[in-house]
Amino acid sequence: MTDAVAIRGLRKVFEGRAGAVEALAAIDMTLAEGEFACILGPSGCGKSTLLNVIAGFEAPTEGSASVFGAPVSAPGPDRAVVFQEASLFPWLSVRDNVTFGPRMLGRPKDETDALARRFLDLVGLSGFEHHLPDQLSGGMKQRVGIARCLILNPRVYLMDEPFGALDAQTRMQMQELLTHVWDQARGTVLFITHDIDEAIFLADTVYVMTARPGRMRSRIAIELPRPRSIDLLTDPRFNALRADILRQIREEAIKAMAEEERARR
Amino acid sequence: MTAAVRRRAGLRELGLGLALPFVLVVIWEAAGRAGVVPQGILPAPSLVAAAWRDWAFADPGLGLNPYLGTWGETVLFSARRVFTGFVCAILIGVPMGIMIGWNRMVAGAVDPLIQSLRPIPITAWLPFAIAVFGIRDAGAVFLIALGAFFPIVVNATAGARDVPRNLIRAARMMGANERQLLLRVVLPAALPNIFTGMRLGLGIAWTAVIVAEIVAVKSGLGYVLWDAYYVGRMDVVIADMVSIGIAGFLSDRVLVAVQLRVLHWKQAVRA
Repeated sequence: MTDAVAIRGLRKVFEGRAGAVEALAAIDMTLAEGEFACILGPSGCGKSTLLNVIAGFEAPTEGSASVFGAPVSAPGPDRAVVFQEASLFPWLSVRDNVTFGPRMLGRPKDETDALARRFLDLVGLSGFEHHLPDQLSGGMKQRVGIARCLILNPRVYLMDEPFGALDAQTRMQMQELLTHVWDQARGTVLFITHDIDEAIFLADTVYVMTARPGRMRSRIAIELPRPRSIDLLTDPRFNALRADILRQIREEAIKAMAEEERARR
Repeated sequence: MTAAVRRRAGLRELGLGLALPFVLVVIWEAAGRAGVVPQGILPAPSLVAAAWRDWAFADPGLGLNPYLGTWGETVLFSARRVFTGFVCAILIGVPMGIMIGWNRMVAGAVDPLIQSLRPIPITAWLPFAIAVFGIRDAGAVFLIALGAFFPIVVNATAGARDVPRNLIRAARMMGANERQLLLRVVLPAALPNIFTGMRLGLGIAWTAVIVAEIVAVKSGLGYVLWDAYYVGRMDVVIADMVSIGIAGFLSDRVLVAVQLRVLHWKQAVRA
């Protein structure tokens, strides 16, 4: 079977005015079809860059990314992206934001409107079809962002800290909603976060990245039963996983600080 | 705040705004009647109003007096030129601005030319316009279009350049091709800037039409303005000036009404 996502020897260097910055160094990873993978790492470790390369927004300096065997060269609806800031079109209604993708591909309006109703219902937004994005809360915008990806029926979902800008309460609701949606829609997910609880709660596998330049430090299988609920947060197995990952993250954070101090000296 | 309270506050503001002009008009009228100002140079408001009434409504008779009953057609001449030139400026300025803001190649090829022509005042183009188009409508329309073009193209460029990167990325990942990206994302995202440019451009269009009509064509508010001055009809000159002001104001209001409709999503944030 082909891997859903295969990253081979991926390296990314940004050429800036202050010189070159190596964001990613030699990343190798594969995601199986249907796997929910979370990538955890300290800020600035290049995890968003990794996602941008798979999405086709940025070209790798070395190495390659491929999705179901096809090398990535440009963005496309087979790889749906949920952004940190929902990035909805403010001049379109909720419904028209959700149907934007299929409409661009020429699907008829009555068909896409029916689909939009279904997916907005799935993310708990029925009745908001005709609202404008600016009339919605942060969590609701992000649900529209998820619905417009679901309607694409993509082969891979790429989520770039989608709940990072939400308050703790809303974030927890969104995590529950996402597991609920995922239990129904399935699909391969690459989810970027710096929130350890979020990663354990959502993922089948958690990848911990090193400080910049980013590498994969470890791969941790999360063998917690599904469907998952908030009760899981107090489960002893959950706590053991959290303690282990926390230790790894802290080591990376200390390394990052030392690196920065050395750079400043 | 209830609607009634808000309306009352609005009326109070309007009353305050009208007070100063009213006082000035009264002083002006009194000065005229007291013989302080020579009426041949600055006729009193009542004389201006009378001249205006004749200009607008009087029977033209044999048509020997150009200031009887010709106001309507005069205004229409100018308004039509402004409209034609302004629409030309939009049709050329908006697509060009979007392309400059969007494509670095186009920007490199076209932007330097625009930036070097822009500092030339619209009045400096007059001899050129007359030489090329002659004493005809086309010269006036050219000047108006040129004057309105610059603010429109510059603002459309800024709008297209400042589209949030993630909106472009979102559209691309949903499968939009280059044409769809420009029409469905870049254009709507740039519209607030484009409207800013259009309002600036419309103001310049009215300036340009008056200059063009003074020099290059024999009809319209600018032509009458200069013609009336030459025959010493200062009452008509002042009535003409006020007419230009009202026409400019009303056309701006129309544009703002269109803007509010098109950009309804901009002010849709409700409690």
